[in-house]
Amino acid sequence: MNKLATYTLVLAFCVGAYYAAVAAEKTTEPAKEEAAQAAPAEAAKEPVVCFESRKGASEITQREIQPGWPNVKCSPTTGAALWYGDPFDGTVPMGKMPLLDKIPEGHALVKPRSEKLAILPMCGTACHNGVGPAFSPPKLPKDKKAVPIPTMEGLLPEVKDLQHGRGRIWCLDCHHTTQRNKLVDHYGDPISFDQPQLLCGKCHGDKLRDWRDGIHGKRIGEWASTGKKRWFTCTECHNPHNVQDGARNKGFVQLQPEPPPQLPMGMKDGKHEKLHPIAH
Amino acid sequence: MAVNDKSPAVQGKAEVPENSAPPASADPSKAVLKTSRRDFLRGGGMLSLSSLMGTAALMSHSSDARAAIEWAEHFQKNYRLMTPEEKNEARIRLEKRYSAEYGKTVTVDTTEAQPGVLMGYALNVRKCIGCRRCVKACVAENNQTRGTRPGERIEWIQVLRMERGEFSKEKMDHGYPEGLGIQVGGNAYTPAGQVLEGQYHYEPEAVPEKDATYMPIACMQCEKPPCVKVCPVRTTYREADGPVVIDYNWCIGCRMCMGACPYWARRINVANPVLPKEEMNPVTHYLGNRPRMRGVVEKCHWCLQRTRQGRYPACVEVCPVGARKFGNLLDPESEVSLILARKNVFRLKAELNTFPKFFYFYD
Repeated sequence: MNKLATYTLVLAFCVGAYYAAVAAEKTTEPAKEEAAQAAPAEAAKEPVVCFESRKGASEITQREIQPGWPNVKCSPTTGAALWYGDPFDGTVPMGKMPLLDKIPEGHALVKPRSEKLAILPMCGTACHNGVGPAFSPPKLPKDKKAVPIPTMEGLLPEVKDLQHGRGRIWCLDCHHTTQRNKLVDHYGDPISFDQPQLLCGKCHGDKLRDWRDGIHGKRIGEWASTGKKRWFTCTECHNPHNVQDGARNKGFVQLQPEPPPQLPMGMKDGKHEKLHPIAH
Repeated sequence: MAVNDKSPAVQGKAEVPENSAPPASADPSKAVLKTSRRDFLRGGGMLSLSSLMGTAALMSHSSDARAAIEWAEHFQKNYRLMTPEEKNEARIRLEKRYSAEYGKTVTVDTTEAQPGVLMGYALNVRKCIGCRRCVKACVAENNQTRGTRPGERIEWIQVLRMERGEFSKEKMDHGYPEGLGIQVGGNAYTPAGQVLEGQYHYEPEAVPEKDATYMPIACMQCEKPPCVKVCPVRTTYREADGPVVIDYNWCIGCRMCMGACPYWARRINVANPVLPKEEMNPVTHYLGNRPRMRGVVEKCHWCLQRTRQGRYPACVEVCPVGARKFGNLLDPESEVSLILARKNVFRLKAELNTFPKFFYFYD
């Protein structure tokens, strides 16, 4: 019995080795051809840019970190970021935050927002520059009523109908009086646009506390409580000018959903789901 | 002759008194096994038969790198019974096979659970906007089949859309049975609060819709998983750090686990998986996202290839509203522990005593 087993085993290994060798030769050739065809097609493509949380906030440009390993994968239907190859792409240290002492240096990262805010560098130079009839003599606004300026409304349509604070706040409660490319804190000191949490936490203290502990908002990277993470700041997800838009029921702007799952076999649409066993 | 050969083994077993036997353990590494599966197969007739069959299978198979590996996989043990050396062999074998199949360097991780870690998950149902980005991120990460024909598309996360019920004055006493007015605010026909029948195939132009709430459902990684109880080949089991995993090589595709799971979390590859080479994720884990074959069951494993290396799962990273939270339940400072301490938390179908480590919360 054992002799028979040994012979069969030897035979089997010989045949197996032969077929493996044949298989290896065949597979290498088509792979080369495919690679040659794919190379020019990829070079011709435009760079893919996808949005991260909401449209109009932080964006990310697709590129290859290693061959076959992109920094991000984007949705072909909605243009949203779907998968991160490198969660720390384009980030900088968050800077000092009160009560975040337990996190080691350099483990809290943010993506600078000021680069993406297209008109921000112009605010302090083009219009709010302290030059012109409105500034001579230099004066501060007498009341807290926004003066409609057509240029401003053209640049930022949502300020025409500010949906934040139910009419109780106005521009200079958040924006700095003299430095228009900065936000303002309770003492009148400027806050960078990259640290909006210092401003928003003035009123939304409960949300700031939850955000600081990682319960509110989004963080990507390492899951350990002291791990290296990229923190999403307030304005990356919320548009502070229209958080109370009545057309939706949440603080987040509406967006296009990804396509639905595959329908059960033989079904044309998903209407069967709306049929309840009891008619109403 | 044959009886004489076996007799020493029989005597050896008989010598052990019954009352000294250790209690039965669910952990197979503690199981008392006199002979392993490999030793058994090594015995004469079985081997010659198996090798003949194996050769036949090899010769009839299409000539690719997969066929050479299948030979070794044929004799592979259940992953939980493998020694570290055998796991390493399996890893090298699979890396070779997948690299040839997908035309790029594929790594198969076999990292074990770390002590002091019990993974937990929390989802804010009030925040979810139903955008399905987690569903697609999961597919991009976990190498699911993504063909177009029936059964060729698998998604592990389902997002359930539920309509809001209504409270209205004129319907207050329209209870069931008619006229009795037994329910206040809503009745059997127009329930108040959530309508339990949900929709998975919703397709509006924009989400969130005003009169809907959304509830994503995937594997709950139960502490007492019904799927593990029913698996006849014990190929699905709970890992020491929490997730319930599957050794795909030992799955026989009987779908008992699919029937047992109360959360509709498991999927079977009824067709040959369709996974384009350029979309394949080359960073894989043996118990996680390595490419599956036809006829095996798969499900969410909390991105083991990421979480064992410290990264957040893919669905957590793409959620645009930050509704998904992941962390170590044994660390009181972790996100999930803080949610359990502070927020209003519930488990889905808690009455079934499956003890999920996936918590829903709202604030």
